[in-house]
Amino acid sequence: MKRIDRRGSLILRRSGSYALLTVISLLFIGPILWMLSGSLKSINEILRYPPTILPEVFHWENYLQVFTLQPFGRQFLNSVLVMTLVCGLTLLIAIPAGYALARVRPAGAAVIFVVLLSGIFIPPEAVIVPLFQTAAQLGWIDSYLPLVIFTSMLATAPVAMFIMRQAFLTLPPEFEEAATLDGAGRWRTMAQIFLPLVRPSIASAVVFTAWFSWNQFLEPLVYLRSQELLTVPVALTLFEDPLAGPRWNVQMAATTLSVLPVLIVFLIAQRQVVSGLTAGGLKS
Amino acid sequence: MNQRTHPRVAASGIVRAPRPAGRRRGGRDAGRNAFGYLLLAPQTLGLLVVGLVAIGGVVQLSLTRVNVLAGTREFVGLENYARIFSDPDMGVILTNTFFFVFVLSVAGTALALALAVLLNQKLPGINIFRSAIFIPALVTTVAWTLVWRFILQPEGLLDGMLGLVGAGPLPWLRGGWLTLAVFAVIQLTKNVGINVMIFLAALQAVPQELIDAARVDGAGPWSRFRHVVLPQISPAILMVFMLMISGSFKVFELVLLLTNGGPGVQTSVLAFEIFRQAFRLNDIGYAAALAVFLFALVLALTGIIWQFRRRLVFHEAD
Repeated sequence: MKRIDRRGSLILRRSGSYALLTVISLLFIGPILWMLSGSLKSINEILRYPPTILPEVFHWENYLQVFTLQPFGRQFLNSVLVMTLVCGLTLLIAIPAGYALARVRPAGAAVIFVVLLSGIFIPPEAVIVPLFQTAAQLGWIDSYLPLVIFTSMLATAPVAMFIMRQAFLTLPPEFEEAATLDGAGRWRTMAQIFLPLVRPSIASAVVFTAWFSWNQFLEPLVYLRSQELLTVPVALTLFEDPLAGPRWNVQMAATTLSVLPVLIVFLIAQRQVVSGLTAGGLKS
Repeated sequence: MNQRTHPRVAASGIVRAPRPAGRRRGGRDAGRNAFGYLLLAPQTLGLLVVGLVAIGGVVQLSLTRVNVLAGTREFVGLENYARIFSDPDMGVILTNTFFFVFVLSVAGTALALALAVLLNQKLPGINIFRSAIFIPALVTTVAWTLVWRFILQPEGLLDGMLGLVGAGPLPWLRGGWLTLAVFAVIQLTKNVGINVMIFLAALQAVPQELIDAARVDGAGPWSRFRHVVLPQISPAILMVFMLMISGSFKVFELVLLLTNGGPGVQTSVLAFEIFRQAFRLNDIGYAAALAVFLFALVLALTGIIWQFRRRLVFHEAD
């Protein structure tokens, strides 16, 4: 009797938890579902009140309009290109720096570490004005140079350096001694002994950097002019009719297209991401 | 190399060679330093150049009046800074800025902690809910803001839902506290997933023996959380809090896309005002002074909290 009671209360407690979790989850997923539904409605249906939950007719042509109103395919590739360049430059400078600070430790390494990290504390909004003026003087407006160089130096490389330094720090010094005894020079020790061991951390540095670049809005808004060069976040804001206001349905279709690749990658890698994020642990 | 004696054995790690005694430390260190500086040079030089251009430039610009059309610059001393304090709009803008700093840091940290505790249960399928809360963090801020603009449009989803319970449509984006609250909700739901993950990691790292020991000592669930779990995860709380503070100055995208700071400057914040002054009103000097002011605020706030960390964080001494 008592055992049944206990099981009953367990089920009750669990269904309470599930109900609460479902309501909360809807707050977070609801907007995404509404975006999907809006992307398939006609503009008349969108402007009707009260709103319909599901589209009466699925207007797939909204997705075609995304590409006729703007060179959205090109803009998508632009975002990917900028993201790749930022990742490349960031890793190129941050991996050696992280390695030097963790394993080589030249004199003054502690000071250099603080200097390199200080980039994190510069709010991008606070320095956009002088950086824009510098870019204008260098003839970098309407090019990806400021997006790649300024972003890497000030925002992504400091964080990537920090991630890499932490990763190299966790490796035992015996590897280094063994490599030296083995006759490996300093470069080989770094490239062939240590680098393969920190691949997971390189992956997290790439994820962080790619995400930062993909998300950027203020910088492309300020530095880029021509429509064919825009990146996705700026392009999304331009699906508007000068007379009739936002083309909600096409804008939601474009937004869906911009969100889907990331969501698909996440859902495929979900197990690793969620467990990686939670199990990776952040010891102070 | 003279140390190359038994490479195979050493490489396999079976025999750990003793450190060679009496090696030439000086020569080794010089080579080591040179190698280290070579590796550090690209990032250090890059950061110093871009950082000096950025910070030196913004300070310099803040002391000038720039005429964009004529292409002239005139040194005006601290005039732009004096203008910040006499600008009647700044009262509203700073109030809004601090509203977001306070709400997003305090409520953001509390909400993330509450959700993390809720999601830390061992329930079948819990990962589905963890993913659900993380999904907005995967969407770009612009996409998330545009979707919310769609939800908040007059006679949109939210008005429709209010209509179901007989309440009238609300002026969501027409200014006032309602709009600021809407901004806070959009920003909170966007990013709370990342903080929840940080807290989940911290919660799962709390040693179960500590909690069990407290239970044996007769501590109730709240007491166990308050006196055992909370001190253990305090470094994560501090980190999330500091991340939220520096992030809360940047509600820029929401303001630009949802209200343009309007009506007037009712829903503007400092980061948006910098953008507006610089790129819409071409008042570069004033924008630069506002930028220095923003920078100083961010540094001061994070500095103060960093100073207090010893009192806030339990095992900082470790």
